[in-house]
Amino acid sequence: MTNQTLTAEAVNQANRPSAEDIAARRKVIEVDHLDWSFGPRQVLFDINLDVREGEIMVIMGGSGSGKTTLLRHLVGLMPPLPGKIKLLGKDMGALSRMQLLDLKRRIGVAFQFGALFSSMSVSENVKLPLRELTDLEERTMDIMANMKLEVCNLSGFGHLMPSDLSGGMMKRASIARAIVMDPKLIFLDEPSSGLDPVVSSALDDLILKLRDAMDISVVVVSHDVESAYKIADRITILDKGQILISDRVDAVRNSANERVQNLLHRRSEQAEIDPTEYLRRLAGD
Amino acid sequence: MANPAKIFETIGRRTVAGLDEMGYAAAIFFEAIYWTLAGWRYRQPVRVTATFAAMMQFGVAALPIATLLAATIGLMLAIQSLYSLGLFGAEHYAYIGIALSVVREFSPMIMGILIAGRSGSAIAAKLATMSINQEVDALQVMGINPVRFLVSPVLIALVLMMPCLAMWANLVSILAAGLYVSAELNQSFGAYLNDTIEVLKTGDVWHGLGKATLFGIIIALVGVINGSMVQGGAEGVGKVTTRSVVISITLIVVADMIFAYMTTQ
Repeated sequence: MTNQTLTAEAVNQANRPSAEDIAARRKVIEVDHLDWSFGPRQVLFDINLDVREGEIMVIMGGSGSGKTTLLRHLVGLMPPLPGKIKLLGKDMGALSRMQLLDLKRRIGVAFQFGALFSSMSVSENVKLPLRELTDLEERTMDIMANMKLEVCNLSGFGHLMPSDLSGGMMKRASIARAIVMDPKLIFLDEPSSGLDPVVSSALDDLILKLRDAMDISVVVVSHDVESAYKIADRITILDKGQILISDRVDAVRNSANERVQNLLHRRSEQAEIDPTEYLRRLAGD
Repeated sequence: MANPAKIFETIGRRTVAGLDEMGYAAAIFFEAIYWTLAGWRYRQPVRVTATFAAMMQFGVAALPIATLLAATIGLMLAIQSLYSLGLFGAEHYAYIGIALSVVREFSPMIMGILIAGRSGSAIAAKLATMSINQEVDALQVMGINPVRFLVSPVLIALVLMMPCLAMWANLVSILAAGLYVSAELNQSFGAYLNDTIEVLKTGDVWHGLGKATLFGIIIALVGVINGSMVQGGAEGVGKVTTRSVVISITLIVVADMIFAYMTTQ
């Protein structure tokens, strides 16, 4: 398995665009000075980030690092205030309702647990954006949905209900729905979580295939280090709401930052604990 | 012994939470109306098929149980009216009380309570499950307005079907009561119906239908608000479903009293 992963990683590395090539491309995501708090608890601190056209950016971090909150900001589920988020060149905070709806048609999101509509078949789920946001004929919608299901290796499974799908199929169906409108940018939340290594690797291949075939930019939120090495052009690591590093895979891998290495090698941080202080905290004094 | 400061604090918190919920309900109500009227401007009209499906679910599918309840209420009213008026030898005037109480009070109220239990709980459970499964988030990120997609069809369906159910309940209750009364008093069924039609004014019917429409709005909004405020997993869904039914029925009874007072003064 490790050999297979290394081979796939090597193949992708060879296909990876160079740093200069990426830097010359248009920015599809620009995050400027984003802070966010839930009540008194600040979870994001001065986030600055950009993603380029055709790039795969993997955002990593431990639990509670703020990566899901950042993703919710990026997809428009939370307001970009204070700070600024530009998607496909549009400032999300300055758009009218109509402009925001138009922008959302040009992005796709696949949620961690699929978020497929349980009352609809897989095919109906994939067709939903087409049905609700376009005036296409039923036959055309069927063709488009079947094409995307085929890309995601779900050909012939369209009639199934979400409850009939395995974890990996659910994720692929969710990706099929995310790409059905031919977006320029897709967001994938924890695509490999809960999957066995083989299925997870197949999903990584699918992400690479999508980028190459459809020329779309992909933002993946994940904590799967192997998967990140395999698919990412750049990796951003979040820790306690701050960006520790945002760089190309090799640079992240060889980073001298101890916290980055702890995360990549799954080492828990050793904190100095004063026993008296600890007891006092437990007692609530 | 309870701390008075704590009691006041709890009352204050709950009052603020209640006002907050009312504000949220008002916002959802106006947004649903906005999308119903202006959805086409955003190329997102409220789907007629979704609205008809909701009308079938909340209205047509409820007809058997609604008919049974309405007939039972009609019979119950007939039995009680004949008994109580019989004490004064005035049982021949039973049709007045039956007709007015059925059309103005019982039909809309009983249909409201039935639909709150049957459909209000279903709305809350569906929305709560969708919220937990991130289906509502998925709609938002697709650029599909969740209020337009999920709330507007439900609201339109209940506003249209509640008066229809109330009207159906009027018919069934009066017919059921008429069968009992005419048999008990050896009166012809046709004469009973004539007397009933004579005593009923158009305003009485509109009074009942107005109430039914109001109850439809209450059931839809309470179901939607509770469903969207779910926290936790399956337990949370159960809680908001129960809460939705209890609040709907309470609000229906209170609104019924206020409506009756305001329209009779």
